[in-house]
Amino acid sequence: MVVKRIVLLFAVAQVVLPASVAFAAGDAGVAELAAEVGSKGWIVYAARSSENGTWDLFLMRPDGSQRRNITNTPDHEEGGPRFSPDGRRLLYRRFAKGTVIHHDLWGFQGELMIAAGDGSAPVQVGADKEYPWASWSPDGTQIACLTMKGIQIVDLDTKEMVRQLPRKGIYQQLFWSPDGRWFCGVANARIMWTVVRMNAETGELNIVQEFQSCTPDWFPDSKHIIYPSRPAGQKGYGFTQLWMSDGEGGGAKMIYGEDGYHIYGGALSPDAKYVLFTRCAQDGGGSEGAGAPICVMRMADAPAIAGPSPDLRKVHPDAKEAPVLQLVDGWEPCWTYADVGAK
Amino acid sequence: MRHRMARMCCAFVVVPMLCASCAKKTDPGVDAQVTSLGSVEVTAELLEIPGEVRNDPLYDYAHVMKYKVLTVHRGQVDKDVIYVGQYNPAKPRDAAADARVGQIGGNLKQFRVGDVHRLAMEVPIDDYYMGGIINKYFGQTEDPVYWALWTNRVVR
Repeated sequence: MVVKRIVLLFAVAQVVLPASVAFAAGDAGVAELAAEVGSKGWIVYAARSSENGTWDLFLMRPDGSQRRNITNTPDHEEGGPRFSPDGRRLLYRRFAKGTVIHHDLWGFQGELMIAAGDGSAPVQVGADKEYPWASWSPDGTQIACLTMKGIQIVDLDTKEMVRQLPRKGIYQQLFWSPDGRWFCGVANARIMWTVVRMNAETGELNIVQEFQSCTPDWFPDSKHIIYPSRPAGQKGYGFTQLWMSDGEGGGAKMIYGEDGYHIYGGALSPDAKYVLFTRCAQDGGGSEGAGAPICVMRMADAPAIAGPSPDLRKVHPDAKEAPVLQLVDGWEPCWTYADVGAK
Repeated sequence: MRHRMARMCCAFVVVPMLCASCAKKTDPGVDAQVTSLGSVEVTAELLEIPGEVRNDPLYDYAHVMKYKVLTVHRGQVDKDVIYVGQYNPAKPRDAAADARVGQIGGNLKQFRVGDVHRLAMEVPIDDYYMGGIINKYFGQTEDPVYWALWTNRVVR
């Protein structure tokens, strides 16, 4: 009888509890954070499907609830989803089944797909490897692509290239700012793995952060950039932390770090009050495997350090113990406040 | 008498054998790829590999090395000293090609300063390669960086 009750309780918990785990700053603080973000829009991300084993796209509430597979394609892998600025559409890349999604090359791999924000009505745009590193324009009518020849602005209706700028050493992870004035990306500037900002009109380039920094993305204000960075001076290989700077490279500060984990997938909520990231024991973010736990934290709690991290705490003595909501395993999450997931 | 025989043996048997042996070891590094890939083909001496050649399985990059041009076989090279980006140089050239760079290769197993290579190349590197570049010459020269497509060992 007791066993039956335990089994029943476990079954109920599986159904009722969101797919989230508390892991930092106490369960009460994390539960409070979960309650705070639970109704604030939707997160889209890629993850290995338990149904078909391939990478699919999923939607969930920011507390991990109402999770559902929105592509469910056993014959393809999908990744790199990005909501359009109004949240009504998604762009992502679709790969042949069995493709190893390379953490640095994925924007060059596969086909560009555009769908409704809930993943419905997917349309293939171009052929394999076309429109690499596609990124939305502010009004969603154009995309910026990073090609060997340069940064190409493409009209989505006509598929015509309307403008091209020299790429000036940018080689991956191009993103257009929400106000349309800038691009950010990873470049060979003075050294490789440098996060840079480019003026979208003039092509003028400035360094944001040098040395072992990558995967930049924009804050909603288009004035700040979030990026993972593996600073020098750590013991051995070191660990990748989540950082931010202003667009000119000033005011660099750590958002979250944890010795033993590499922090990638940094993205902001639309009001910049919360930050998404993934924490992965292996460097690279986990796209070659099954991703890594997606986490949510308040930006007001930055800089934060989790775990013992004694060396990191010496470098950042002002860092806090922040509530961090750990959700399911995934890769490259993106957040919208549009009501794309409501059924 | 015995000494005379030995000298004759040396003159007519050993010396020609040694010369033949030497001749066999000479190799201009020619093959079908190095003579056809890219727009530039040179024989050049590797003068310098600045910095550490990294062997990182997680990240790929090109490492810019300094060469002294000995012979230009194809294309136009205006300088005696050129800068060449070699992709993942910790790997033998026949194991360096991957999804990022496509067809690169050659028979060179290891980069060593002082060795002579026959190279098929394109220029500038940014028109043919998108990825991390270790360029310790940044800011020291305005010369273009070549992109090595095929690298064979030359034995002179």
